[in-house]
Amino acid sequence: MTVRKRFKGRLWALWMLLPALVFVLFVNLYPLLRGGVISFQKLTVFNLNRPRFIGWRNYDEILSDPEFLYILWNTVLWIGLSVFFQLVLGFLLALLLYKPFRGRGIYMGLVFYPWALSGFAIGLLWSWILNGQFGILNDLLMRFHLIKSPVNFLSDPRYALFSVIMVNIWYGIPFFAIMILAALQSIPKELYEAAEIDGAGRLTKLFKVTLPYVRPTIVNTVLLRVIWVMNFPDIIYGMTRGGPAGATNILSVEMINIVYYQNNYGKASALGMIITAILLLFTVFYLSFTERREFQL
Amino acid sequence: MVALFPLIWTFLTSVKPPTEVYTFPVKYFPSRFTFEGYRYLFSFANFGRYFVNSMIVSLIPASLSTIFATMAGYVLTRSRSRLTGIILIIFFFVQMLPTYLIMIPQFTMFSKMGLTNKLSGVMIIYTAFGTAFGTIMATAFFKRVPREMEEAALIDGCTPFKALIKVVVPVFLPSLGAIFSFSFVNSWNEIFTAVLFLHSDRKMTVPVALYSFVSKAGIQWNVMAAGIVVALIPTILVFAVAQRFIISGLTQGALKE
Repeated sequence: MTVRKRFKGRLWALWMLLPALVFVLFVNLYPLLRGGVISFQKLTVFNLNRPRFIGWRNYDEILSDPEFLYILWNTVLWIGLSVFFQLVLGFLLALLLYKPFRGRGIYMGLVFYPWALSGFAIGLLWSWILNGQFGILNDLLMRFHLIKSPVNFLSDPRYALFSVIMVNIWYGIPFFAIMILAALQSIPKELYEAAEIDGAGRLTKLFKVTLPYVRPTIVNTVLLRVIWVMNFPDIIYGMTRGGPAGATNILSVEMINIVYYQNNYGKASALGMIITAILLLFTVFYLSFTERREFQL
Repeated sequence: MVALFPLIWTFLTSVKPPTEVYTFPVKYFPSRFTFEGYRYLFSFANFGRYFVNSMIVSLIPASLSTIFATMAGYVLTRSRSRLTGIILIIFFFVQMLPTYLIMIPQFTMFSKMGLTNKLSGVMIIYTAFGTAFGTIMATAFFKRVPREMEEAALIDGCTPFKALIKVVVPVFLPSLGAIFSFSFVNSWNEIFTAVLFLHSDRKMTVPVALYSFVSKAGIQWNVMAAGIVVALIPTILVFAVAQRFIISGLTQGALKE
């Protein structure tokens, strides 16, 4: 190929890449930098065009708030419990779906569909199911004499956090199941046959063949999910908006409340930067803990 | 059963007469089916308008981002430049950025350009997200085909762009469908940017309308349930049609070759 032709090829490549690059730079990366700047400014809806630098004061205000530790603890529970049960139940679901049976395709569709739904709408519809006065869950529990009087799942601070976590688990199982199922299907059948010849039982096969094989998938998916769930205020927003009395308030919900109700964009950006920093630290720690080489894109 | 129940229950609530919604013990099946909830949505609440708005801000970004992602993914898998790895990492990083984290800077930027409270502003943001994720999916798809596929067309004097359209795209239609549906679902479900950007009644999308219902006291739950059903149906349909491609696209795209 002549030099000219290759140059032409390069130019084409650039043109084809350009729209994607421009959009991502302009809409995602540049705002991320600006967000860092805004977090050091006093910027509210009243001085949108005249921001003023105020140093670390936004960060100060957030970190010295006595509520902050409580919100942080809620966030840890929200992420930890959600991801743990999503993983365990998703894994079980994948094992169940691994063996072919009649109608498996349809069944998979029915089980996986929540994954495509709007988190906010899911939150709303579950808030109706869990409603303390007219909710069907209370009705069912009472019919089976499991409880004597209706439980205020969402308005009682003792139960609210676990209720929203339960819904998030329900919502996130399909994603784990899809990922793990794909990994299960890539296990060579010979491995199982070899294990059987060695006299391995069901449990041995699970722990010696299946688990090691899907380990990288689990490592990757857990990291992705932790990041996702941290940044997933949709369900809580549909159900409680962080209430009652902050019982379901997590960092991302708090940030949106600052944006929508206090209109304090500087403070919200500072909280956003804190969330990003936590996630980055977690990712570094997690990857060094689980050995970098298992993580591959 | 556990997976389906919430949806069935919401549908049943949406077709109940208002008097049977607030009862305890709960009335499981409505004594008669009524579409009053839906009628209220579309006559008083202007839901038709919101639905059209939602379609606009989902279909256009989904189409644009599919095109952009296909082109970018093609170049990134076919070029040997060192930059491609860096670009892919950036795109992966962008995926992890939640919408609400960058929505404030976006808001201040866009308000200077007069793009707030306009569907076009929201569309630009959705297109960017769809493109970043779509590009990652597209590279995973394209990596699996040998480059010999288009070589013949290139030797015949086609430009890489023509080779992509004539040779690669026809084979990859299902994969492109997966990218499209993924971008559609994400745009349709997005709420926080939309609530911040779109505040006038004529500009609202379906999630924004649901959000405003919650703030308004006195919305009956049969109306609310009807609104939820309307909000969920499009993505359920998309999922039903594209399920197979989405699942294979997801597992291929996010994990390994």
